[in-house]
Amino acid sequence: MEFAQQLVNGLTLGSLYALIAVGYTVVYGIIQLINFAHGEIFMIGAFGALSTWLLFFDGQTSIWVLPVMIVGAVACSVLVAVLMERIAYRPLRKAPRLAPLITAIGISVFLQELVRIGYNDPTLFLSDWNPFGFPSAAQKVPFPQIDHISNEFWNVGGVIIQRSTVFTIGALLICAAGLFYFVSRTKTGRAMQAVSQDPDTARLMGINVDRIIVVAFVIGATLAAIAGVAQGLQVTNINFKMGFLAGLKAFTAAVLGGIGNVWGAVLGGLTLGLVEAMAVGFIPGTFGGSPWKDVWAFAILIIVLVFRPQGLLGAKVVDRA
Amino acid sequence: MSTSTLSERRDDVLHALREKYGPLAPFLAIAGGAVLVVSGLLSWSHIDRVLQNISVRFWPAGIQIYAMVLGVVALVLGVLLLRKTPWLDPGRGLRATGTAAVVFVAMALLAIGVTTDGLINANEGGWVALVGAVLVVAAGYLTAPVDLDVHAWPRLSSTLEIVIIVVALAALLFLTAYTLDMDDSWTFFLLILTILGVVVALLTAGFGEYIGFIGQNNRRPLVLAAFLVAFLFPFTQGGSSANMSIAVQILIFAATALGLNIVVGLAGLLDLGYIAFLGTGAYVGAMLSNSAFATVGWKPPFFVVMLCGMVVASIFGLVIGSPTLRVSGDYLAIVTLGFGEIFRLAMFNLDGNTGPDLTNGPNGIPGIPDLNFFGFDFGETHTLAGVPLGRFSNYYFLLLLLIGVVILVFARLNDSRIGRGWVAIREDERAAEAMGVNVFGLKLLAFAVGASLAGLAGTIKAHQDTSVTPDQYIFLESAFLLAAVVLGGMGTVAGVLVGATILKLLPEKLREVNEYRLMAFGLLLVLMMRFRPEGLVPSKRRQLEFHEEDEHLVDLAQTEHLEEAK
Repeated sequence: MEFAQQLVNGLTLGSLYALIAVGYTVVYGIIQLINFAHGEIFMIGAFGALSTWLLFFDGQTSIWVLPVMIVGAVACSVLVAVLMERIAYRPLRKAPRLAPLITAIGISVFLQELVRIGYNDPTLFLSDWNPFGFPSAAQKVPFPQIDHISNEFWNVGGVIIQRSTVFTIGALLICAAGLFYFVSRTKTGRAMQAVSQDPDTARLMGINVDRIIVVAFVIGATLAAIAGVAQGLQVTNINFKMGFLAGLKAFTAAVLGGIGNVWGAVLGGLTLGLVEAMAVGFIPGTFGGSPWKDVWAFAILIIVLVFRPQGLLGAKVVDRA
Repeated sequence: MSTSTLSERRDDVLHALREKYGPLAPFLAIAGGAVLVVSGLLSWSHIDRVLQNISVRFWPAGIQIYAMVLGVVALVLGVLLLRKTPWLDPGRGLRATGTAAVVFVAMALLAIGVTTDGLINANEGGWVALVGAVLVVAAGYLTAPVDLDVHAWPRLSSTLEIVIIVVALAALLFLTAYTLDMDDSWTFFLLILTILGVVVALLTAGFGEYIGFIGQNNRRPLVLAAFLVAFLFPFTQGGSSANMSIAVQILIFAATALGLNIVVGLAGLLDLGYIAFLGTGAYVGAMLSNSAFATVGWKPPFFVVMLCGMVVASIFGLVIGSPTLRVSGDYLAIVTLGFGEIFRLAMFNLDGNTGPDLTNGPNGIPGIPDLNFFGFDFGETHTLAGVPLGRFSNYYFLLLLLIGVVILVFARLNDSRIGRGWVAIREDERAAEAMGVNVFGLKLLAFAVGASLAGLAGTIKAHQDTSVTPDQYIFLESAFLLAAVVLGGMGTVAGVLVGATILKLLPEKLREVNEYRLMAFGLLLVLMMRFRPEGLVPSKRRQLEFHEEDEHLVDLAQTEHLEEAK
C-alpha cells in the first residue's frame, strides 16, 4: 500500500519534472546551451496563469476557466523565453562556453527579482500604483483552486489519488503525444531534428537555424508553463523562488535521460520523481524522509553525470568545454 | 540588416561632420571643460539641504567639485588633442568624459528634482554644466579615432616610474577614504559616476595601457606599495567601525574569490558550488571554537583550527574533484552546483533529529568568541600611533595578511610549471594532455588548493561573524563569488579584488536601492557577458581570446611580451 502510494506520488512529481526537462533538452540538443534560466520560465508560467485568473476570473472556480489560464501561462512563458533568447543568448552564440552559462545565471536572478518586486508594482518603485491589484509576490501567493481538478481526491483501495495528480500526469501524456507528432511529423519538427544532428549541413539544406532555435525555446516554454499551472494546482500556492529547485531537478532529469533526447527527458523525469518518492518512503534511519530527499536527487545527478554522462537513453554527448 | 545600414548612415554623417568641423574639436573641448569648471562655482540649487550644500556661489562643495574635476579632465584632454601625442587618443577620452558628464549632470538634476519638490529648485549651475558637458561630448565625437602607437611610449627612469606608482596609490588611498566617508546616497552615487568617468576617460585615452606598462616594469614596488596603502587604510578611519566592517566583509569575500580564481581563472574549471568550501571552513572553525554550542569537544588553538579548516576543505575538494573531474565544462558546473546544494542541505539537516548532531541544523552555531593570539584579543580596541583600531580593524589586518598569502600562492603558482599546466588545460585539454601535462592530477590540485584557501578564509569568517548558519551558504553566494571573478577579470588578482570590492561595497553604500540589489546584479552579469566578457581588469591572454580580430590589442600584447623578455 505504501509502495503504491509512493508510486503515485513519484509519477506525479516525475511528470512535473518531465514537462520542465523537455525544455532543457530541446535547447541543449540544438545549441548545446544549458538554459539555466529555464526554471524561471516555469515560475513565470505559474504567475502568468495566476495573473490571467486575477484579471478575468477573480473568484471563479469553474473548470472552463482552466484552459484560459493555461493559455495565459503559455503566452507569458513563451514571450519571456523568446525575448531571453533574442536579447541575451543570441549575441553570445559564438562566445566561449562560460559566457552563456553566466548570462543564464544572471537572467535567472534577474527574472526572480523582477517577479518579486514587479508583480504587484509594475513600475518597480511606485508601490502605491498597482493598476491590476495583484498581490505581492515576495511571499507565497495562493493559486486558484479549480473545481473538479483540485481539492478532491479518489481513494482507490487506500491509495489516495489527488485530482491534480490526474491533471499533471494527463498533461504530460497529452504534451508527449503532441511533441511526438510535432517532432516526427511536421516539417518544422524534422527541421529541428536535422539542426540538432548537424547545424551546418542543416543550414546548407535551407533550414533557417535561427528560427529553429526560437522554436526550441518556444516548445520548452510551453511545456514549462503547463508544468507551472500543474504545480500551482498541486501545491496550492506559488512563489518567485519556485523555479530554482524545480529547474535544477528537471535538469537532473534531462541529464538522467540523456540530454538532447526528448524521450530521454520524459523518461528521466519519471525516473527521478519515482526515485525521490521512494527515497522519502523507503530509506530507513535518520537519512531517509523528506528532509533528505533533495540530497538524494542531487546525489543521483552527480552519479549519473560522473558514471553515465550520456544518460539512460545514451544520447550523443558533445564535449566542447 | 536594417540596424547595420542605420549605423553605416550614422558613420557617414559623423565622417562628414569630422571633415568639416574636426579642427574645432580641441577648442570645443577646452571651452566645454572651462564651462564645467565655471559651473562648479555657480549655485546648483537654492535649497541648501539637498546633496550637501550646493547653493552657495564661489564656494564649491560636493557635486560642484566633481563637476569641476570632470571639467579639468576635459580641459587637459583638449590641450593634449592640440599637441597630438602619438600614444594617446584624447578624442576617445573626451567622448567618455563628456558622456559621463552628461549623465552626471542629468542625475544631479534628477536628484535635485526628486529630493525637493521638482526641478524648479535647480539653479543656473546645473544647466550651465549641462551645456559644458554637451560641448565636451561634441568635441569627442568630432575627433576621429587614432591608431595608438604603443612603441612611442616615453621611457622614464625607473625612479620616476616608482614615484608615479606611489603617487597614484596615495591618490587611491585618499580617494577611497573620501568615498567611504560619503553618507548621502545620491552624492555617493554621483561621486562614483565621476570616478568612473575619469577612470574610463583616462583608460580609453591610452593612459591606462601606459600605466599598466609602468606597473608591469615595476611589479614588486607596485605590490608593496599597494599593500602599504591597504595597511594604512584603517588609520584613515579614526576609530569608526562603520567602514571597517564593510572592509572586512570585502576582504573575506575577496580572499574566497581569489581561491575561486585559481580554479576558474587559471585552470578553467567552472565551480558553481564554491561557497561550500568557505562553509566547510566556517563550520570547522565554529565546531572547534569555544562556543557553548560547538558540537565537538576538542578545542585546539586557532592555528590548528586554521590547518584543520584547510585540510578538511581540501579533502572535500578532493572527494568532489576525483570523480567529477572526468566530466568537463557545463557538466562540471552542474555537478559542483549539486555538491554545493548537498552541503547546505546537509548542514541544515545534521541537527540530531534527521542525522547526527553536528551543526545544530537551521539555528547554526552562534556565540563564537573573538580570536585571541597570544593574549592579543581581537575583540578589543587597540591604539596604535594615536589611532584607535577597533575589532574590525584587527580582523582587517589578519585578513590582509591572509590575502597577501593567497596572492603570493597565486603569483608563484601562476609563474610555475603547475600554473602553466593549468593554463594549458584551460586553453585546450587534449593538446595539454598530448604535451605530457598530467591533466587529471593538475585539475585535482587546482580543486584542492582553491578549496583549502576558501577553508582557511572560512575559519576566520566564523570568528568574525560570531555565528555560522546554513543559510549563509546558498547558491546565490556562489554566484556572487563567480561574478566577482568574472566581473573583475578572470585570472588576474587585481581584477578579482576590484570585482569583490564593487560587489560588496555598492550594496552597502547604496542602501536606498538595496531592494534592487539582486536585480541589478542579474542585469550586470548579462550586460557584462554581452559587452565586456573579459572583465574590467582582464589578463592580456583572456582579452585576446575574446577579441581575436583586434590588431591593436595583439600589437600591445606583443610589445609587452618583448619588453618582459628584455
